[in-house]
Amino acid sequence: MEKCQFCGKPATVHMTQVINNKTTVIRMCNECAAKHGLFDKEGLPFAMLSGLGEALFSGMKQNLSANGLICSKCGCTPMSFKETGRLGCPHCYKDLKLLIDGIIESSQKGTIHKGKYSREGVMAATMNASGGVTDASASIKRSPRKLSTEERLNELQEMLDAAVKAERYEEAARLRDEIKNLKGSEGVS
Amino acid sequence: MNDFAKKLFQDSKLAKETTPVVVSSRIRLARNLADFKFVKYACKGDLHAVAERCEKVLSSCPIFTNSTILNMCDLLDYEKLALVERHLCSQEFIMENNESKLFFTDDHLTSIMINEEDHLRMQVFRPDLNFKTMFDKINAIDDHVSENLNVAFDNRYGFLTACPTNVGTGMRASVMLHLPALVITKQIGNLILAVQKLGFVVRGLFGEGSEAQGNFFQISNQQTLGFAEVDILSRLTQIIRSIIEYELNAREIVKKEKIIWLYDNIGRALGILRGCYCLTSIDAINCISLMMLAVDLGYLPNTLRGNLHQMMMKIQNSHMQVLENRVLNGGERDIKRAELSREFFATVPNLKFD
Repeated sequence: MEKCQFCGKPATVHMTQVINNKTTVIRMCNECAAKHGLFDKEGLPFAMLSGLGEALFSGMKQNLSANGLICSKCGCTPMSFKETGRLGCPHCYKDLKLLIDGIIESSQKGTIHKGKYSREGVMAATMNASGGVTDASASIKRSPRKLSTEERLNELQEMLDAAVKAERYEEAARLRDEIKNLKGSEGVS
Repeated sequence: MNDFAKKLFQDSKLAKETTPVVVSSRIRLARNLADFKFVKYACKGDLHAVAERCEKVLSSCPIFTNSTILNMCDLLDYEKLALVERHLCSQEFIMENNESKLFFTDDHLTSIMINEEDHLRMQVFRPDLNFKTMFDKINAIDDHVSENLNVAFDNRYGFLTACPTNVGTGMRASVMLHLPALVITKQIGNLILAVQKLGFVVRGLFGEGSEAQGNFFQISNQQTLGFAEVDILSRLTQIIRSIIEYELNAREIVKKEKIIWLYDNIGRALGILRGCYCLTSIDAINCISLMMLAVDLGYLPNTLRGNLHQMMMKIQNSHMQVLENRVLNGGERDIKRAELSREFFATVPNLKFD
């Protein structure tokens, strides 16, 4: 018997999802299906009836736990994002990180900002008349608002976690050193 | 002419200095204030506060010394649509809410939408392909904004936007191209596919959701995160340069292989524009597109290029209503358009084929 993909118990719910001709089969036990909103109290698979299925499973493809997320500042959820196509506030990028990272991975070139005010500072490079970059080593522009050491450390830690998760070890090592230096220079324990 | 009409019809540099193939180019930056919800989720009071703050900061920006500020809620529907036809603002902008404001400079080369999808959508235009100048210009405005407002920015994600498809640089660069020969030689389909494969998007005359009319195509970057601005701009420049080359080659092929077809179509189009009494906008745009091709191929004087672009603006639905200062129904618009067309094309010299 097939096993639940989430807890390993025997699977009783089999859901086939076809998105852009790509078929995904998800197997789970009753408990896990209920936990992920596939059944309402009466046991009806309302998720499928109300079109919730698509929202759930497109999110699931990115990260299952994204479905329980809610922005602590504005109340935006993955579901409201699905409905409006817009996030609620800048803080959503922190609280709905799992959802957003999934979207970014599938729609963007990279996952880290390399433009204006980024640490690479490439933006300051000047272009020549033919549109090519002539001076990529131009001065680095700082971010629009200076971050406190604590904020910066938090951010670096998040970037480090992401790098480790994505197995970008070179970047992770660099971030680890940067955290160490920053802690050392500010005397933070 | 009322004040709005004067602002709208003032000589647009965009039309006057336009070049063959590249009709215009644009860079747009999306920015948000860190302390407010994004527009779609914000309450009226918040939107009002955002608009006030942004207006104050932008008014002190040197580039807006000679400019117009419009409260969108004060405008009539056709006036708003005329601004969309001029590309000064987006379709979404005029539908959204009562707290939106539009800044634009007298030369129509810079405009800023306050409270569109993002709190600030800043755009600069040029009649040719010169992203360096445009980027320097918009970057200076952006620096002014960043220095004076708390802009939502994250070291990892870059500039935070209401939709994650704009996050990072928040930059969309686009070029409007006139590609009649690639359409005539049926190469346009393959070109669109090739451009899409490179991560760029091909759209019609009015951007998102619009169909190609009159052989005009807009090409823009799709991705905004993971690249530096200069990288996006130099890649787009390269792509546009190759498309220009393809189009010019295709024109040579048309001249060699389909010359009678070409003379016939251009000649008929001028006939329609001079003699019509009822002209739909799609017919008008298609005919004017052929007149532009005639200028590029030397069958009409070069000095007409700017006038043709101005004409194309003027005969759009909402522009005519602004000019007439009243609502025109579909039939009335086609009659008015024909009148404007006869009047203008009567002054155009006869075609001089090789």
